[in-house]
Amino acid sequence: MKNPYSILGVSQDAEKSEIMKAQMIAMKKKEYSLQEIAIAAKQLLDPAKRLAADFMFPSKIKAKRIQPIKSNLIYKEININNINEDAFDSLK
Amino acid sequence: MEVVIILIILGIIGYLIYDSLPNTKFEKAQAHFAAKNYIEAINIFNEILDKHNEAPAKFAECKLIIGLGLKENSEKLKAFNEILELRKRIKNTSSIAKYENIEAKAYFEIAKIQYEESNADIDKLNQNLKFIDNANKKGLETDFNSLRTKHFYQLSESYFKKAIEIEKSNKYPESIQVYKKAIECSEKSYNSRIKHNAAARILICRLKLNENIDLKEISEVQKSDKEYQKDLFYRYSVYLLKKKDFQKAEKIISTYLNFESVHIEKLRDILKAEKTNMALNQITQINQKIEQLYNNSLSTEEISTFYNSLDSIISHLKSVDIELSEKVLAIKPTLFNRLLTNYITNEQYDNAINLIQKYPNFWESPELLKNLGICCYGFTSKGLLTEKNYKIVISGWLTAVYSDKVILKSLEDTSWDDNYTFSLAESIGSNYSQHKEIPENVNYDEISESNISIGATQRELLKQFETIIHKEIKDPQLSILVNNFYDKEKEALEKVINILATDILFPTPYFAILNGINNEIIRELDDYYEEYSDEEALEAGIPYIKNSTSSIVYQYYFANDLIERIESAIEDVNLAAIKKLNTKENKTWIEKFDKISTTVEDRLYNKLSLKISDDDENETLISIMEECISISKNNEKLKYQYSNYVANYCISQVNEENIDNYKALLLMKSAYLHSPNNPRICKNFITLIRFNLMDILNERTNKESDIYEILDWVKGNMSQTYKQNSSVLNNARKEILGQLKANGVDISLFDDNNLTSILSVLSLNSQGLKMKKVLTYLRDLGNSLDTINPLDRLRQLRQQLNLDDDLPF
Repeated sequence: MKNPYSILGVSQDAEKSEIMKAQMIAMKKKEYSLQEIAIAAKQLLDPAKRLAADFMFPSKIKAKRIQPIKSNLIYKEININNINEDAFDSLK
Repeated sequence: MEVVIILIILGIIGYLIYDSLPNTKFEKAQAHFAAKNYIEAINIFNEILDKHNEAPAKFAECKLIIGLGLKENSEKLKAFNEILELRKRIKNTSSIAKYENIEAKAYFEIAKIQYEESNADIDKLNQNLKFIDNANKKGLETDFNSLRTKHFYQLSESYFKKAIEIEKSNKYPESIQVYKKAIECSEKSYNSRIKHNAAARILICRLKLNENIDLKEISEVQKSDKEYQKDLFYRYSVYLLKKKDFQKAEKIISTYLNFESVHIEKLRDILKAEKTNMALNQITQINQKIEQLYNNSLSTEEISTFYNSLDSIISHLKSVDIELSEKVLAIKPTLFNRLLTNYITNEQYDNAINLIQKYPNFWESPELLKNLGICCYGFTSKGLLTEKNYKIVISGWLTAVYSDKVILKSLEDTSWDDNYTFSLAESIGSNYSQHKEIPENVNYDEISESNISIGATQRELLKQFETIIHKEIKDPQLSILVNNFYDKEKEALEKVINILATDILFPTPYFAILNGINNEIIRELDDYYEEYSDEEALEAGIPYIKNSTSSIVYQYYFANDLIERIESAIEDVNLAAIKKLNTKENKTWIEKFDKISTTVEDRLYNKLSLKISDDDENETLISIMEECISISKNNEKLKYQYSNYVANYCISQVNEENIDNYKALLLMKSAYLHSPNNPRICKNFITLIRFNLMDILNERTNKESDIYEILDWVKGNMSQTYKQNSSVLNNARKEILGQLKANGVDISLFDDNNLTSILSVLSLNSQGLKMKKVLTYLRDLGNSLDTINPLDRLRQLRQQLNLDDDLPF
């Protein structure tokens, strides 16, 4: 089933009057069939069905806008070459 | 006189000839051998070496004993070598066979001395091993093997020492080769210390050569000397650090170098510095990605890669700076939202579903559950369902739509609904006013034009989805699978919702099991059952069972499953299976639950009826029915069914002469036992009693005593219905007596109440006695209602004998 909001070209918060108006505009545009427009309008004018249409809009989990991460760490020099490889020489 | 002299001379000559014979000499030498005069014995054995078969072996044995008694090894070797030299002088093959046993002993003694004198010298040990390989070992194989093992043990030690010396002179490839020889010898002599030490040293040499090592056989190395282990793991850690394999180095250090040391501390410092530097690099890269994200220059795939990389970065950062790791963790939800929005916008529903499902405890978030529902709907409407994915998609959709909280979530995102209120009164996701917290504009009041039904919204969503799966799946087989699964999941979910009044998420069974939350539902149902004893709750829990064997729901499932298995065994006419299931413990399980125990009889009865309608001449079914009667506590119907089946079976089988009358009587006895007042059973049983008595009378059976045993049992177990129908037996008796009378036989001989009859025992032949017994049983088992009291019978007899005094009682 196509999204009735898309068919009528109205926002999720559209009022009844806007939906009626949008129905007329959509019929003139002829982008969708008359039946599709009628069903979409009927769906958005019925609160229970409109709530079902609203179900299809994704929800977001709680999240904040990401800020660049700051760190107090300091870069350290590594010198592996001065390690005594024979520190635990077992043949001594 | 001359004759005497001649005789003496002849005697002397004879003795001399006798004395020079090989056998005589051998016996003489044996006597020396027995007296331990080995030198004398040797001399004689030497003389007859070619003349007596046993002489060479005995000669060698003497030498061996002498050799063993010598002090110096050189003298011993000389003696034993003389034994070996002896082989060249032996020509007779039978002598050789006897000699070889002693020869093997000589070889062994020589090898032993050579081993003792080798002083752990590798060459000498190897030479002696060759000597042993070429030696005759007849009869001493075990001793030689043991000696060989000693050689290898010593060789492993010697090679190891040699390899150490080579290693000390920094010739590592050469030392590796010698360590390998040490391992080879250690394996042949079970010298595990050398084996493990040599293995460790080879790895150390490889590290000294700056070669990578394989620690697959770490368990071997861990058995080596502690000092070697320390040396090895330290060198390996340094090697890994040089190769920048910090992760592996850290693992080796933390696992095998977990002790305090300045040198180890140095390694730890290097690791710490490396981790810090790596963390800084990671943060720089993350910041670059964040910038790209807000510039919208990251593709969905790049966001996905970035998002997926965060867990391992967070894990790494935790060991460097916890605060920093938390900062990175905090960016995950934003990235998640962005990624999910992109997937849904681009209709990449499969990726979206995977993403949501990887989010920890996603089902606890109404937002994520709602998004899952959207994705499952989108995925289905795009025709992407397959046999592999339909269960995940459908269970996800149903769980989302049946969650009231998910629908309530939708209300928060819009303003058009501000003038309305919403009612949960008819919602499909709850049974009572069970939600602990509901928004201000939501209530449980009656539905009206301004109080909108949330249930209607949920049903609308279900209707839309059902339209898709009913009409738009083109593959008929898949359509059946999907729709059946949908109905099953929905039905199971609704059952649970209708029972439980708790404010919890109600997942479908598949969803619950997939995400490991099925036990919560089972626990709730168990609690409900314990409070209300409502077995519907247990029934509802069955689809949620996976491994919760300790729950009451499982016990209920188990009891129910027992009946199903019995039904299946009836279907397969599998008597062994039913017998296995018919245990005291299983019966206790069945009896535990009313719904199961009260229906078990009907279930088994119906299953048996179906089977009987397929096959009414199967004797195994009789035994199966007996088991079923025993399984079900209520079993009157089963007994009735059983008795009738047995009666039908006996009639048809006797008529078709497939079984004899005795077998039929035996079967009917069981039927009579279960249904003693069933007229049909009684009549057939009585008929069979008559048939069997006639068989005895006409000598058509060899089961006479078995038949009488059954009939004696009947005498003590006559039911009212039996008695009412048993006159046929008495009639049969009368008929026989009539025939006898017609043939001129004095029937008073067969009348038990008559004195003549009592005396007849003395005059009747065996045939007559048989007749008398049959007639007596016909009388006793027939017309029992009229049976004469034994006291009356005694009185009649006394009157016939003219005894005046009556009985004293």
